[in-house]
Amino acid sequence: MADRRDGPGSGDNEIEIKRLSKVFGQGDAAFRALDDVSLGIRRGEFFTLLGPSGCGKTTLLRLIAGFEQPSAGEVIINGRQVAGLGPNARPVNTVFQNYALFPHMTVADNIGFGLRMLGKPAAEIRETTERMLALVRMEAMAARKPSEISGGQQQRVALARALAPQPRVLLLDEPLSALDLKLRKEMQSELKRLQNETGITFVFVTHDQHEALTMSDRIAVMSGGRILQSGRPTEIYNHPAERFVADFIGDTNFLDVELVAVNGATAEVRLPGGGTRRATLPEGLAPDPGSHVTIVIRPEHASVTEEAADFEGTVEDAVFFGTDTHLNLRLSDAARFTLRRQNTGAGDGAMPEGSRVGVRVADGGIQVLRN
Amino acid sequence: MARARRNFSITALPGFASIAVLTFVLLYVPIATLVVFSFNEAASMSRWQGFSLQWYQAAFENRQVRDVSIRALGLAVTASAIATFAATLAALATTRTAKFPGQTMIYALVNQPLMVPEVVTGTALLIFFAGIKVSTGYTGMGYLVAAHSAFCIPFAYLPIRARLQTMDLTLERAAADLYANHFQTFRYVTLPLLLPGVLAGFMLGFVISLDTVVITEFVKSAGQDTLATYMLGQIRRTVTPEMNAIATLFLLLSAVVVVLFFIVSRKRP
Repeated sequence: MADRRDGPGSGDNEIEIKRLSKVFGQGDAAFRALDDVSLGIRRGEFFTLLGPSGCGKTTLLRLIAGFEQPSAGEVIINGRQVAGLGPNARPVNTVFQNYALFPHMTVADNIGFGLRMLGKPAAEIRETTERMLALVRMEAMAARKPSEISGGQQQRVALARALAPQPRVLLLDEPLSALDLKLRKEMQSELKRLQNETGITFVFVTHDQHEALTMSDRIAVMSGGRILQSGRPTEIYNHPAERFVADFIGDTNFLDVELVAVNGATAEVRLPGGGTRRATLPEGLAPDPGSHVTIVIRPEHASVTEEAADFEGTVEDAVFFGTDTHLNLRLSDAARFTLRRQNTGAGDGAMPEGSRVGVRVADGGIQVLRN
Repeated sequence: MARARRNFSITALPGFASIAVLTFVLLYVPIATLVVFSFNEAASMSRWQGFSLQWYQAAFENRQVRDVSIRALGLAVTASAIATFAATLAALATTRTAKFPGQTMIYALVNQPLMVPEVVTGTALLIFFAGIKVSTGYTGMGYLVAAHSAFCIPFAYLPIRARLQTMDLTLERAAADLYANHFQTFRYVTLPLLLPGVLAGFMLGFVISLDTVVITEFVKSAGQDTLATYMLGQIRRTVTPEMNAIATLFLLLSAVVVVLFFIVSRKRP
């Protein structure tokens, strides 16, 4: 079905999503699960759709898989319009959240199912099944039924089953959410390894920011049926363009400040201490000098300082987290600021309650929000 | 006190044991009596004279008994097979599609034979089939097959539907995702998983058809007695232990099918 070298490509994009919308129900009960989404997913990348439940990420995945048909817009896979095609006619395979292994078939038969449906010769099915079993290290379990293996092993079989027909794209619908923490960490690196070895484009859906940050080449953050921001994990984390993105990923300080000057992609903002610092502007945003904007400062991008403080705060409390300590400061009646101090072994990084401390923000640590 | 109330058990009610025993006695003593007297040497239903298999022998040698048994079994298998096929399609259509207006209505219509008294169905079929008989001249087993099939559909439908409702819909999605077309999805995934429900539906329909007296009585033409209507006719005249023997065999067959039904429907995917 899916020889990776066949068919016309459309630039570097394996998947093109163009102005895609999906509305469930009609009239007053209509629910817009996906709202005019456009997106390009590059060949061979690990792409993550990240967002809370109900944000539309699973709907988008289903539209790519063909389980749902769009209300408007286009899905293009490998340069080919797939509108109207069912899931069995698309060169994509899915790893389901509950794995959806066929309970009446053995592990080997589950893995070989896709090739069997494609009408491949028996020898090829057997050979590929063995290769897939080895790839996910499940050779010893080939003759077992899914009910006779553990959740983590079922997960591996589901992966092998979806990879066996050599799809152009592998869709993963929160595949790790049913595993316990230790197993989830293991499977994260396992997934990365499989993606590197197969070179297949992975589209991964999750609500877990850590999963998204550690595994992805690029992330699209979704909310309310829209993509709010997409980019590399470092871009998303260090330069969130919207409040939702900043809030959803990592811990964040929001401060309302005055914008003093704009120089292209950066701006000068007046911090609570009175001095000005350089901040990064979101792409395409050019606010007027003198206007008020919200800025984001990550807790680890600020440090306690004796001199050249950007602003001062009063220690309200300190929370010890092991690797670091969170210092919660009160800047004014309205503004709070959390600062993260790495624990180096000398003391616990805490400061006495009520003491005044100076805070210095690292260069490049200030990001202006779009809203 | 509070603890005792939380652990409320129906078995602690006064008289529970005696009522339970009485219920079982009422249920099983008549049947046990029937079975015991089928082995009685005498022709009496009340006086035990000694063990004998002569009534079984008499039943086996009775041509009429053989004829009606074969007819009843053939009818039950045919009608139940038709009903199971129809019920499978109905169950798929009422569980595997998006909710559509009138779905509950269809559910009620499929189950209609469960609600309508058998005499009403019987009378209706008698009148309806009489018209067809007159106009076509056909008087064969087709009427009984049709009547029994229709009557068995809800009994076959219920276990199949129950099975489908507990079946994970993503399994069929997964099959489609792995390049199976609609037929292949049904053939390799839905049907194998549905099979226990289908078999259970078939067996339930089989027993119901074997057992149905009222509708058969209304619909049958001359010479179309089934085992059930034959026994009813015999008992109206004289009661001999031969009937006990036949009833006991009947009971055995039902018991076997019911046991099979439980074994099949207990299997979980």
